[in-house]
Amino acid sequence: MTAVHQFVPALLPRDATGDHTRAVRDALRAAGWESDIYVEAAHDELRAEATYFEEYPGRARPGDVLLYQLGTSSPVAEFLLGRPEPLVLDYHNVTPASYYEGWEEHTAAKVSLAADQVAALAPRAVLGIADSAFNARQLEDLGCPETAVVPILVDDEVVHGVPDPATRARLAADHGDATVLLFVGRISPNKSHQRLVEALWYHRRRYDPDARLHLVGPAVTPGYAEAVFAFADELGLSDAVRHAEDLSRAELAAWYADADVFVCLSEHEGFCIPLLEAMGAGTPIVALDAGAVGETLGGAGILLPESRPATVAAAVDRVRRDADLAAWLADAGRRRLGDFAASTTRRRFVEVLSGVTGRAAVPA
Amino acid sequence: MPTPPATPSSPTSPTPPAGTPDPATDASGPSTADRVRYLDEVMAEIDAEVRRRRASGDLPPGLERELDELFLEFSPVGLQGRARLRETLSLVDGSAYVDIAVPTASNKAVGSYVKRAVRKGLGWYMNFIVTQIVKFAWSVSRMFHVVVDHIEDLEAAVEAHRSPDLPSTVVPSASDGASWWAPAATEALAAVRERVVVADCGDASLVEALLAAGVDAYGVDPSDLALEPALDRGVDVRAEGALDHLEVVADEALGGIVLTGSVEWLRPNERDRLLDLVATRLAVDGTLVLHSTSPAAWAAAASPVVRDLAPGHPLHAETWAHLLARRGFDVRATLAGGVDRRLAHVADADGDAGTLNAAIDAINDLLLGPTEYLVVATRDR
Repeated sequence: MTAVHQFVPALLPRDATGDHTRAVRDALRAAGWESDIYVEAAHDELRAEATYFEEYPGRARPGDVLLYQLGTSSPVAEFLLGRPEPLVLDYHNVTPASYYEGWEEHTAAKVSLAADQVAALAPRAVLGIADSAFNARQLEDLGCPETAVVPILVDDEVVHGVPDPATRARLAADHGDATVLLFVGRISPNKSHQRLVEALWYHRRRYDPDARLHLVGPAVTPGYAEAVFAFADELGLSDAVRHAEDLSRAELAAWYADADVFVCLSEHEGFCIPLLEAMGAGTPIVALDAGAVGETLGGAGILLPESRPATVAAAVDRVRRDADLAAWLADAGRRRLGDFAASTTRRRFVEVLSGVTGRAAVPA
Repeated sequence: MPTPPATPSSPTSPTPPAGTPDPATDASGPSTADRVRYLDEVMAEIDAEVRRRRASGDLPPGLERELDELFLEFSPVGLQGRARLRETLSLVDGSAYVDIAVPTASNKAVGSYVKRAVRKGLGWYMNFIVTQIVKFAWSVSRMFHVVVDHIEDLEAAVEAHRSPDLPSTVVPSASDGASWWAPAATEALAAVRERVVVADCGDASLVEALLAAGVDAYGVDPSDLALEPALDRGVDVRAEGALDHLEVVADEALGGIVLTGSVEWLRPNERDRLLDLVATRLAVDGTLVLHSTSPAAWAAAASPVVRDLAPGHPLHAETWAHLLARRGFDVRATLAGGVDRRLAHVADADGDAGTLNAAIDAINDLLLGPTEYLVVATRDR
């Protein structure tokens, strides 16, 4: 039986790469293939679903195909470089080290190593699967002989979450007539949270003095997060910028449902799952055209050529003032989300891997 | 406000999701063209709103830069000045000491007793380890002090060599607006569909020529005064220098960039920064049009004071081609133009003008060639 085994640095619950890896495994098994997950580390909750990658040589069989979930540096990359099996990369992008330099040198070193590993693996792979054409171009530039664009597998429950009633009620009580901007994502320099703060500051000065900014996501670069919040304080926005993290899916859905506009000013995104979550929640999107954002958005939002506060504030005001536009954007988002249906992506995944395994896929 | 096109009653096709929805499979809804047109109209309204704010003085040109500088004050990336460096160094000094006296307070009486016992029992061990750690930390701290002292010496040395700033008015302009090279620039950019920025656009005549050719162009210029007529005509122009503007534009957001004017006298580090920005802000396959005075013409036209004090000077077209090629550009064309100052040959009435004309050719080549040139390049990677 054909086997496509996945390798991933860390298998974590409630994590985009972890969820994707497990969903791919399920899709491959449903297609009639053997598929196991090999890891450098696994969370206790998922320990039973993973095997340490060092154990693979003892289990390897002729005909195996190895699929590497690549988004960070790991000894797994070095291990795979030494394996004779056909290698497929599932590339989720690596944030350039320049974003972390000065903020967090150890992270800069880690992503720099990851970039080196991508460069070494790309020409060695028989196929590069990328979440976006943006990511695919990077693989091609590094010498990957063949690429296919297949979006990250996002569970329908993630993008169609039912808002937690208590959280929804609490946020609604605070909302009033104020404009609420929302961004969801790690607090990390490539996400440009300071631009969101600038946009809020300008928006309050010129359009809505009560406007607020909700930031949801872990402060993975603490120095940067401290700078962002200190910057907000300096601009007199300490009460207008709210931060939340470690939310359940239902709580997160409530934050999306409460927002008037989802604003993404990230300078570097390989795909941007929060855009899909905003689409699922029917929240209109205003986003900077950077990285793969425009591609993921697919015309279902206002795409800005720059992240200047005046431009962002004007776009937010435009959406806020024009109910027809807001409704149209929400509807366009829901339609666009249909393109990322998990069933479609699962089928596509099996299709592209069939070309490597050399056998027809069993319809999923 | 533009009216949104009708929304479809069913989702788009389940085809692979890269790119925009496919209108062919979306029969019940608006076509992609309709959606794009509608969003373009909305975006144009947003642009107009920003321009109106700018023109009304509501959005001072330096506002965004001031915000950036304010953020940098909270950033280790933006370490500025000796005070900030010394402040950070004092944090290192402060954390270089490790206190061996572990707190023993506890909510429970027995807890405090146990902690004291552990502290007493392990004191000899901890003291041995901590002494070495503190010794190491102080060594590192001393090293940082030496490094900071050295940096301050270097800063003082660099400051001593700083060239005085020249007001832009004393630097000769490459041209009085879009002149001989405007048609060539327009032709080079005519097929560009993404936005095109004209740096140092002056009266925006080139911006208007590009708009007339169907190019989505706008201009930037550091001089508010120069832009006033264009603002009055409703042209999208912004009071900013090329460097400041490109710093805040997203990667690959532009389909074309026109550089002229200040590129002639940028400091070397500014020139490098400008080229790096051009190479990232321009989309792959995007077009760069660069116009400059030739070095010989600049030297001939500039006053001795300007020649001596100018922080930079115009480069040869070949040098730009070299710098651009190193950043992944393919130079498609180099055009010479401007004022033709070449001396004419003398008549060969006596049959001995050959030597004189050869000398004239040599002088023409050396000193009196075309006064300006245009480089057209495409970003390959």
